[in-house]
Amino acid sequence: MALIELRDINKTYDNGQPLHVLKGIDLDIGRGEFVSIMGASGSGKSTLLNILGILDNYDTGTYHLDGKLIKNLSEVQAASYRNRMIGFIFQSFNLIGYKNAVENVELPLYYQGVGRRERHEKAMAFLEKLGIADWASHFPNEMSGGQKQRVAIARALITSPQIILADEPTGALDSVTSVEVMHLLKELNAQEGITIVVVTHESGVANETDKIIHIRDGVIGRIEENRQHNAWGGPIIK
Amino acid sequence: MKFSTDSFREVLDSIIRNRSRSLLTGFGVFWGIFMLMLLSGGGGGLKELLQGNFEGFASNAGMVFAGTTSKPYKGFSKGRNWNLEYSDVDRLRSMMPELSTVTPTIAFWGRSVKFGDEVFAQGVLKGIRADYADVEAPKPYYGRFINASDVAQERKVCYIGKKVYTALFPGGGDPCGKRLEIDGTYYSIIGVDWKDEGGMIINGSATESVYIPLTQLRRAYNTGNVVQMVCVVAMDGYAMSELTPRLREIISRNHYIDPTDEQSMFVLNTQMIFGIVDNLFKGINFLIWLIGIGTLLAGVVGVSNIMMVAVKERTVEIGIRRAIGATPGQILGQILQESVILTLSSGLMGIVVSVGILSVVELAMTTDGILKAAFQVPFGVAVLAALLLTVLGVAAGAMPAARAMKIKPVDAMRDE
Repeated sequence: MALIELRDINKTYDNGQPLHVLKGIDLDIGRGEFVSIMGASGSGKSTLLNILGILDNYDTGTYHLDGKLIKNLSEVQAASYRNRMIGFIFQSFNLIGYKNAVENVELPLYYQGVGRRERHEKAMAFLEKLGIADWASHFPNEMSGGQKQRVAIARALITSPQIILADEPTGALDSVTSVEVMHLLKELNAQEGITIVVVTHESGVANETDKIIHIRDGVIGRIEENRQHNAWGGPIIK
Repeated sequence: MKFSTDSFREVLDSIIRNRSRSLLTGFGVFWGIFMLMLLSGGGGGLKELLQGNFEGFASNAGMVFAGTTSKPYKGFSKGRNWNLEYSDVDRLRSMMPELSTVTPTIAFWGRSVKFGDEVFAQGVLKGIRADYADVEAPKPYYGRFINASDVAQERKVCYIGKKVYTALFPGGGDPCGKRLEIDGTYYSIIGVDWKDEGGMIINGSATESVYIPLTQLRRAYNTGNVVQMVCVVAMDGYAMSELTPRLREIISRNHYIDPTDEQSMFVLNTQMIFGIVDNLFKGINFLIWLIGIGTLLAGVVGVSNIMMVAVKERTVEIGIRRAIGATPGQILGQILQESVILTLSSGLMGIVVSVGILSVVELAMTTDGILKAAFQVPFGVAVLAALLLTVLGVAAGAMPAARAMKIKPVDAMRDE
């Protein structure tokens, strides 16, 4: 059974005028895959990501995450699943400004009720792994974009989630740092076997992943195997 | 919402790291409680200061003096002088059970009181019975007050006021057992009173008085049956002013005086004076609490307001917390705890500072190691204020917390 199983997912926003955003999405993402979801803005890719991340509900269909049906969860259950199964990486890093790097990384464990010392040690270990242990006591506004995104990745990894959801992870980064971050994600996928789903509208970023899912107007278009990473004729990030 | 040291630290972190916001928020509450405590302490102190003027005086007492008749009655012409007598005391006692105390006194003014070479020229010699203590409570610093045996055995003993003591014994020390002289008679000192000059002076200030047993004074000065002043105290539940007409009537009948003759005798009533002061301070107290609680409430509304803005400002932060696994309850708990801790800590600070200022005031009001009036807020009031602050903190945090709870994790991604 695939890690993520979406069957006929429909989602309609009703802001005065009903807006059918997702029109019957069927999608399987297996364990250990490195996938990107590509689409123009308004294609429904963000909505899909929100549903995958249990941040939003869908109207009809079924969504199984690691065999569990994710539907009509209570806020507490949803919070618990998000905390234990999913790691988020956001475009704008979304670190808490008044907490330093290591405290930001610790935060998911705080909500698991892990003790202060243990969570500190674990957070330090992850910062070490991502090569920014020296920056542990620095606040977000003292760090570069790349460093901030590494902290965010460490925060996503610390609960050992089933899946990492990255929403435009390179959107706020320059091209060199973008490459670094994508390589980092690739490495994590290759070495640790973590399932990673990247949502992007940049073909260069999508090209770094092993499988590209094109979404357009709320339906899945092409699914492209991209083991060779040459979907657009070789690496495009300069 | 559960409370643990860990969540407490989380809350504390968010308060301390957002220092200027927290300080601004807390200041309103600090100022509110500070004013409330300071005003209530100051008001209480002022009240005590003023009441110190009436210190020791029964608040429901009357003093009766004989005057001159202004109406002819039963064959006597008007303009007759008369005197109170011991029989008046007995009659009042037996005919008016509403009076808890009826006691006669005689005072001689301008007596020179001598001890060795020291002289106190303006002494008031007062002959009293032991139950005079019910009218004007003694405050002995050394020794004791005149007691019933002193009166019964006509002892030559005296109880002296503070001014008399300081004039005769400039070196200080316990004067009990020493003998002072008034008009050729020697009296053993049995006690020294420590009341200060007050606003209520009946028959000469207590500080300048030398009290001796009335029986002794009667014999030494040959006053016979004459009583200068009769002091009465009404029992609890009876107002002196309501008893006065009957009191006049009883005495009038004993001396063939027209009971409607207002000029024939004077009845002073302490109840009226105390009533005025009491009402004054009831009013002042009401104002103090109105202003204090008003200021405090304004502070709390300020906390609520700023927390509200803060929650809006922290939408992304709260969204992130929700995205990485915080439950709505945990968010609610965090905001509520922040509010309570902010209100409580700034409020406690207000209490501490106001208590500090009040104790400085008390220090300034202290002479000879004796406090004139207690300005300090009572401990119970401070505890009550702290409890009140906690409740107010929860109330202030309720609305912002409810709003924070509504923040969805998607908001973290949407905003920026």
